[in-house]
Amino acid sequence: MDLEWSQVLELFGFAIAAALLAGLVCPLIGCFLYVRRTSFYGIVLPQFAAAGVAFGFAVLPWWAEHVGLGGLDLDTALSDTHAAANYHLAWASTFTFGGLFVLSALSSGKGSEAGRLASGFALAGALAILFTHWSPAGENFVNEMLRGEILAVGQHDFETLAVALLAALGAIVVFHRDFVLVSFDREMAIVLGKPVRALEFSFLLITGAIVSVGAMTVGPIVLFGMLVIPPLAARMLARSMLGYFALASTIGVLSAAAGVWASLRWNLPMAPAIVVAAGAVLLLAAAFARLSRGRS
Amino acid sequence: MTALFVLDGAAFGYGGRTVLSGVTLRVEPGAFVGLVGPNGAGKTTLFRGLLGLVRPMGGTAVRHARAIGYVPQRETLDVLFPLTVREVVEMGCYSRLRGLRGLRAEERALALTVLERVGLAAHAREPFSSLSGGQRQRALIARALLVQPDVLLLDEPTSGVDRPAQRAILDLLLELNRRDGIAILLVSHELALVREAVREAWWVADGRVERGEPRELLSPQGLDRLFGAAGERLERS
Repeated sequence: MDLEWSQVLELFGFAIAAALLAGLVCPLIGCFLYVRRTSFYGIVLPQFAAAGVAFGFAVLPWWAEHVGLGGLDLDTALSDTHAAANYHLAWASTFTFGGLFVLSALSSGKGSEAGRLASGFALAGALAILFTHWSPAGENFVNEMLRGEILAVGQHDFETLAVALLAALGAIVVFHRDFVLVSFDREMAIVLGKPVRALEFSFLLITGAIVSVGAMTVGPIVLFGMLVIPPLAARMLARSMLGYFALASTIGVLSAAAGVWASLRWNLPMAPAIVVAAGAVLLLAAAFARLSRGRS
Repeated sequence: MTALFVLDGAAFGYGGRTVLSGVTLRVEPGAFVGLVGPNGAGKTTLFRGLLGLVRPMGGTAVRHARAIGYVPQRETLDVLFPLTVREVVEMGCYSRLRGLRGLRAEERALALTVLERVGLAAHAREPFSSLSGGQRQRALIARALLVQPDVLLLDEPTSGVDRPAQRAILDLLLELNRRDGIAILLVSHELALVREAVREAWWVADGRVERGEPRELLSPQGLDRLFGAAGERLERS
């Protein structure tokens, strides 16, 4: 690395802070997805968000002409994704919540949940490619954006991400017991008089918001990785529910820090470096858990 | 004394289909009721109706119980959750917690007391998933006791556990009923167990509920008289 750390922080401070914050909070959401056996949501929902962003690009000229972009001209919106961040975020949210709504509505019907999620993933992936093909910004530009280069996170992106993640963190801290109870024993929660539907809806809302904002800022790859890998690694080591949350967040932050460091040290793309670092922790956790079992 | 539950001509079912109808029953304080019947007869539907998980489609179902201790079938709980025994038991306090408030010292002490009561104090820090079937059942009874209930509703509390564990669970329930005066209503398909323990039996079959004295109602002759083949099938199982 040729840059001094002070220069790195000046240039990529928001990106590094975004990675660490995502590493802190996303695994907490992922813990609930994992123990509720809905980890696939962590993979499928970012795909819906990506399809939403691609759709936003595809309809951007029409939207600019008929609805308007709050004073932004079409050329700027097509070339500067930061300037049109709220527009893209709105489409990411619409598709994420739309996908969540459809999956939830179908969940009471026949068939397996894994099958529904796999179908949703395939459909969202295909739509993202089609919308990207129709985008006036060019396929390469949209693909680059969808791949999510976390280094490009600027102040506005970071502020949006921070608001969403800190709000989610606050909700989890306040309601974690209720979320655990409803997830573990829904009927007991009803008998105890808990507002079960409101709690379940709140959790979906939090998940959808994190996925929409996360996919637009840190990108789907980091989002996938942080929602799925740290909770899986932590589950192998955790001996209590509170310990599980603490471990998952710690693994998320450490993975983000290690990925950022490796990326800057060896000039690697940051998002994959973070996910690979989380994968390395997962392997270590698996080895440690196997050793512990062997000893006992 | 006011009855804990009063059902008057109640009908229960799902999705517009009536499973049970014309159910008129009362659960008095201190009662020990066994809810028995063949598989698919509507035991669970009635049980869920008493818990308030299913609304009556007709008639009335009134609950006067101050607090209900609910003990689900342990197989319905996912062992993927890395909960300790203590964390599971402390869920019994969750109805009293709001926002950031954690458990108070006296609530933690009460959790330990109920764990001692069910013989699991030494396992408090162990993963719930590492307990045997009988131990898990006792942990769930401890959780229900933390609600400080006037009635315990238990769904198949002795199914899938060995005889000594069945005995331990039954002795615990008898003690809770006789010493603490907690009313108990349990669903079970194990007639011998129900016959021995309960003071009142509710036999559920063919969309109706028959109430009676357990030794008489649940004897082979009683079952044959009431329900013929269904009773014989259950007795054999």
